[in-house]
Amino acid sequence: MKNKIWFVLFFASQSVGLYAQSVATSPYSIYGLGSLFETDFGPISALGSSGIALPSTSFINNLNPASLGFIGKHSFFFDTGLKGTETNYKSENSSEKRNNFQFSHIAIAFPLNSKSGVSASLKPYSSASYVISNFQLPISNSNEFYNLNAASYGGLNTFDLSYGYKIQKGITFGLTTSFYFGSITNNKDFTIANSITNINKKSFYSGMRVTLGNQIKIDSTFNIGLTLKIPSQITGSKTQSVTTINDTETQYIEDNVASNVDDYYLPFEFGVGLSKSIHKNFNLTLDYEKSLWKNTNQNSVYGEFKNQDKFALGLSYLKKEQSFYYLDKIRYYSGFNYDTGFLSINNKNVNNMRFSLGVGIPIESTKSALNINYSYGIKGTVGNQLVKENYHMIGINLSLEAIWFVKRKYD
Amino acid sequence: MKYIWFLILVIAFFSSCQTDNAEGDFVVGSDYLSISNKVIMIDTLTVNVSTINLDSLITSNQSRILIGNYTDPILGIVKSESYMKLTPDNFYIGSSESDTQTVTYVFDSIAMILKYDRYYYGDTTKTQTINIHQLTQKVKPNTDDTNFYNISSLTYDSKSIGTKTFHPKPIGKDSINIQIDANFGKNLFNKLYNNEITDANEFEDLFKGIVIKPSTTSSSNMIGFKTSSVLRLYYKKNNSDSENSLTKDFSLTDLTKQFNNISLDRTGTIIENLPDSKNKLSSELTNNNAFIQSGTGLACRIDFPFIKQLKYISEKGIIVDAELVIKPNRSSISNLFPIKDSLQVYECDNLNRISKVLTNSDGSQKLALLNATPDEFNENIGYKVNIGAFLHQEMLKTTGAKSNLILAFPNISKGVNRIILGNQKNAENKLKLKIYYISY
Repeated sequence: MKNKIWFVLFFASQSVGLYAQSVATSPYSIYGLGSLFETDFGPISALGSSGIALPSTSFINNLNPASLGFIGKHSFFFDTGLKGTETNYKSENSSEKRNNFQFSHIAIAFPLNSKSGVSASLKPYSSASYVISNFQLPISNSNEFYNLNAASYGGLNTFDLSYGYKIQKGITFGLTTSFYFGSITNNKDFTIANSITNINKKSFYSGMRVTLGNQIKIDSTFNIGLTLKIPSQITGSKTQSVTTINDTETQYIEDNVASNVDDYYLPFEFGVGLSKSIHKNFNLTLDYEKSLWKNTNQNSVYGEFKNQDKFALGLSYLKKEQSFYYLDKIRYYSGFNYDTGFLSINNKNVNNMRFSLGVGIPIESTKSALNINYSYGIKGTVGNQLVKENYHMIGINLSLEAIWFVKRKYD
Repeated sequence: MKYIWFLILVIAFFSSCQTDNAEGDFVVGSDYLSISNKVIMIDTLTVNVSTINLDSLITSNQSRILIGNYTDPILGIVKSESYMKLTPDNFYIGSSESDTQTVTYVFDSIAMILKYDRYYYGDTTKTQTINIHQLTQKVKPNTDDTNFYNISSLTYDSKSIGTKTFHPKPIGKDSINIQIDANFGKNLFNKLYNNEITDANEFEDLFKGIVIKPSTTSSSNMIGFKTSSVLRLYYKKNNSDSENSLTKDFSLTDLTKQFNNISLDRTGTIIENLPDSKNKLSSELTNNNAFIQSGTGLACRIDFPFIKQLKYISEKGIIVDAELVIKPNRSSISNLFPIKDSLQVYECDNLNRISKVLTNSDGSQKLALLNATPDEFNENIGYKVNIGAFLHQEMLKTTGAKSNLILAFPNISKGVNRIILGNQKNAENKLKLKIYYISY
């Protein structure tokens, strides 16, 4: 049994390695380190990504490490998923459909003892995939234009190690150490007057960040949570080749020259959340998160950043946890998420709004579930040279619980 | 745990059919795209234009006999005289050395037949007078040299052996005949007839060659002749009534032994003070014009004194392209003094020493091309050449002397075409330089 799990972990991590770096082709991927890939475990996606106050009792809560303090002392959780997105891009003049289907995460969590638990997870952080074809840009100091063709791929992944500890009944603290790593390859062709210049850049990034969390169980129906993400930086290096061709000759200006790239800064972020059970069958979750991107003073090569506010609301319904009827045990979720965005393009924020619905289908008699969620969202707006993205997203994840340590006891 | 296997299958399936199409038609934030790589155009870089005097154009072995004399209204008196060695195929009279008829032959006449090569410059409606003189010096370059130059000359007998005044018809006719002194011809005939000359050395001692000089008084044009032109000796049978004379040709068998001395008398002109070949005459001293004249060695030099400043635009940058447009002074162009449709571009140092000819990526010579034909005069007429690679190299130079460009007509040693070009301060024919730069 244990071997099987490790085998699956190995297999899945291979998948992540292979596929996590090509996430989406959003036009917004040119900024920062690419478009952020938001993925959550268990039913969280279906709850509009709310759940800072939810304990990790029936699935791994990736939003707050303090939730691991509530992990059952015999539970072993495994969570992995897929995400498919179909996006309709719309600008002032045209629209276009693109789709993407891919592996979204893999995570495990288990208790160390009755007071603490740990988790490890691997997931994509960002995607810098984009293509720009025959784009005309003005040449400074003239009324002429040059032509840009660009293609980029790659992105960053994160590997999180989390620890949660229950300091007293109903109060837990947690800590996550996130490791960011990845590379972005960027190839640009500039056609300027009678010349073509190719700049091929491969950037490598790595960094680390700490998240602190706290959860308090006020009573059996009401939990609150708090997270603090410590600002940190992702350092980069690059190798770059530059070639320019004109009617005279091909000049190899640089060939794989290594240099540093400007560091990318992750902001200070804090989040608060609450979870409240209503009428036994319903549970309401509500989160607010603020990210102080503006204070990062990010280098302008990454874009212009604004402080970000995120609001998340989720509602779940369960008829009966223990029931003779299977259908009674199915959980239903719905959620709403609004995010002001942290990018400002032509003085407009790229905001994002989405609604989600989901079901959690119980498996066997454990807390294992197959979670299926659907979201519809809108990112950005039309106008001011912005692009509006309407997307449909389907997420499938399997959240498995195995009762390990109990069995070992009776070996 | 069987669900794990199910999940593995699902992952494997979706991983393999992961789709990601990207047409790239959507771009947000065009201002942002310009941040990491700035593309700018610079059209304010100072360009210094001057006239230089290339004093040693090789005019031997150019396959043209250039003869003429005319007064250019701007540059002065242009003159070309042509020196050449003429040799016969053999050193006897008759069909062979043992021709039994030889004894019966007598001298008839001798003439220089100059064949037009269609090149002309100046006013061909005016007559040209040319004189032919015998050289008193062998046609031999200086020691350690194999070439003759536009400034080379040889001594000659002041007595002319032939002269002719004619209306040049470089396009309408094939050749002109210049009757040569019969005494000269007779002497040449007798020496061969009597077998007094049997080889090339003996022949050269007798007849070293000729110089064809234009009269300095009358002509107003410059005419090119082919090097297949010959000195033709006519002879016939004694006591024969036959009209058919026989001929013996003296021709230019070795083209390295023919050259043109091309000179320009600048006295009283705007470029009277043109310095020696190592210096330059700034166009600002010559009404914001620079001058090119083939043959006499006038060329236009272009300096970019502040090109290294462009290095400070950004930490790393490339001049990807640069377009230089230099305009001819339109009032100086006429049917008499037409311009050519291209200019050759050379790279030189501060002493005007040419280090190379600029070339295109296919190895061909880079030419500044005229973007309008002369009869379609308009504002945009000008010679255009892309010099991005040259300027990039100049910008990055950390050691060594600066390089400059020289503009001249192709076949600079063959003709006398001239052109007047404006500099950056020339209001009517302003030189323009557009530099395209990208930071990386």
